[in-house]
Amino acid sequence: MAKTWKIALAGEGGQGVQSVAEIIAEAANEEGREALYIPNFGVEQRGGVSVAFLQIGDNQIGSPKFQKADIVIALSDRAVRRTRQYVDEKTTFVYDSSIEGIEDDLPKNAGRVLAIPAIEVSKNELHPRVFNIIIMGAVIKSTAVVSEDEAKTAIEKKLGYKFEKNPELRELNFKAIARGMELVEKAQ
Amino acid sequence: MADKPIQGEKRVFMTGNEVVAWAALAAQADIMYGYPITPQNEIMHYWTRMAPKFGKRFLQTEDELSAGFTTLGGVLAGRRAFTATAGPGNTLMQEPMSMAEMMRIPSVVVIQQRGGPSTATVIYSQQEVTMTAYGGNGEGFRIVYSTGTHQELFDYTIKAFNTAWKYRFPTFVLGDGYQAKMRESLTIYDPQDKGMEMVKTEAFIGKEPVNGIKEPNHIRNTYNTEEELFDVLAKYMEDYLKIAPEIVEYQEFDCDDADLVVVSHGVVSRAAKGAVQELRSEGYKVGYFRPITLRPFPAEQLRAVADKTKTLLLVESAYGQMAKLVKDAIFGSTVAIENLFKPGVGITSEEVVDKVKGLL
Repeated sequence: MAKTWKIALAGEGGQGVQSVAEIIAEAANEEGREALYIPNFGVEQRGGVSVAFLQIGDNQIGSPKFQKADIVIALSDRAVRRTRQYVDEKTTFVYDSSIEGIEDDLPKNAGRVLAIPAIEVSKNELHPRVFNIIIMGAVIKSTAVVSEDEAKTAIEKKLGYKFEKNPELRELNFKAIARGMELVEKAQ
Repeated sequence: MADKPIQGEKRVFMTGNEVVAWAALAAQADIMYGYPITPQNEIMHYWTRMAPKFGKRFLQTEDELSAGFTTLGGVLAGRRAFTATAGPGNTLMQEPMSMAEMMRIPSVVVIQQRGGPSTATVIYSQQEVTMTAYGGNGEGFRIVYSTGTHQELFDYTIKAFNTAWKYRFPTFVLGDGYQAKMRESLTIYDPQDKGMEMVKTEAFIGKEPVNGIKEPNHIRNTYNTEEELFDVLAKYMEDYLKIAPEIVEYQEFDCDDADLVVVSHGVVSRAAKGAVQELRSEGYKVGYFRPITLRPFPAEQLRAVADKTKTLLLVESAYGQMAKLVKDAIFGSTVAIENLFKPGVGITSEEVVDKVKGLL
């Protein structure tokens, strides 16, 4: 993997974009790759869109933020509008298909635009609490920055203590990863 | 009580604030004094979480003036004390650090720069260069390390304690909000395992009598006559100029045949490095120069580069604070100077590449 992947994840507070970015970064680091993750922070956090900037490569990462992303994942209407600036013709722009009123805001210059029903799947098929893990599956399918197994190991590391008490949670999380990957595969 | 904080070498993945707390532990700091301000808060958070396990202490003061003065008090009492701050907190910190300069009290302050002036943003900038290098009502008798990676943040925080105590000038580690909040990998270690001994600390005051005689240790920051002050400052200046060559640190590459050299410091040097490497691969004759110590500044080394190249491109997240240091250092050179100034905003390698292509 010679290139450095630049990934921007954006959503509302509570959608878990920061924890997804952190888990993926840690998984890549465990693999011995170079990873750099930085959240947007500041007064925006109080009621603004939450953006996570994630870069993964084989060489030391340059500046912590970037101008154009390889992958943008936007999980709310405001996130779609906020992250258009990171899109160019090489960008894959992924957004949730349940977001309404953004038809005119979707980036016209993106390499690809994919709609995935992550919110719906998390609500009706799995559980809302694993929404961010579905998104994590979507990210790793879109980029191959970490394998499914590595992602599972990273989740285990993060949430293992919860899985001990409730093994069903492990199944739910692993299913969520697989579903997230599937959603991207189908949308392509 | 737990043994050493770090056993052997360990590759870790953490935020810069956490890195600073680990580095202070590894450097055997005894106590941190501090007052919360974003983006450096987590230095205190991690320190207070980890330090008690190793018999270390923390005191939260009522503001940064007090945090600075209590740090100096801790040092006078023989403790390896430090503090950390940012932005408006750094402004208040200038008063105690001026006293540290006058009284030659070793001190370590970690700065995580945020946007300015005033409250501005809690996020990022390189706008505290002038203040950190030359703040206070003095002559800038300080040492300032500008870091760019988590590894450097760890290495130079440890080093700062030795520099401060060896030379007895206030020493600053100048980071920024990006370095504070981002996560990347680094290797942490115990400095003693690498053969680095920490310079011993000792009480400046309240010393035991020697042979039954108690000698007063007179540490002054008040002088009665102009001449008295002048003599003291002349001696300080002499000391500073003498040690400067030992302290100065910088990095450069590809400068020998360069038509243009990109000059940057801190986290921006990551973008500059990537840009120079990319431009070189495309055949552009471009070089890279980065002061690691902003004070003392690697003046001779940069002058040598300025004499070889045609243009210096100065890149920083401020309106020319590093540029002032550069121009002072190369005074008399006829090299052309170009700027890429973005106060309070990050700079990417793409922007540097575009700027250079527009110039060459």
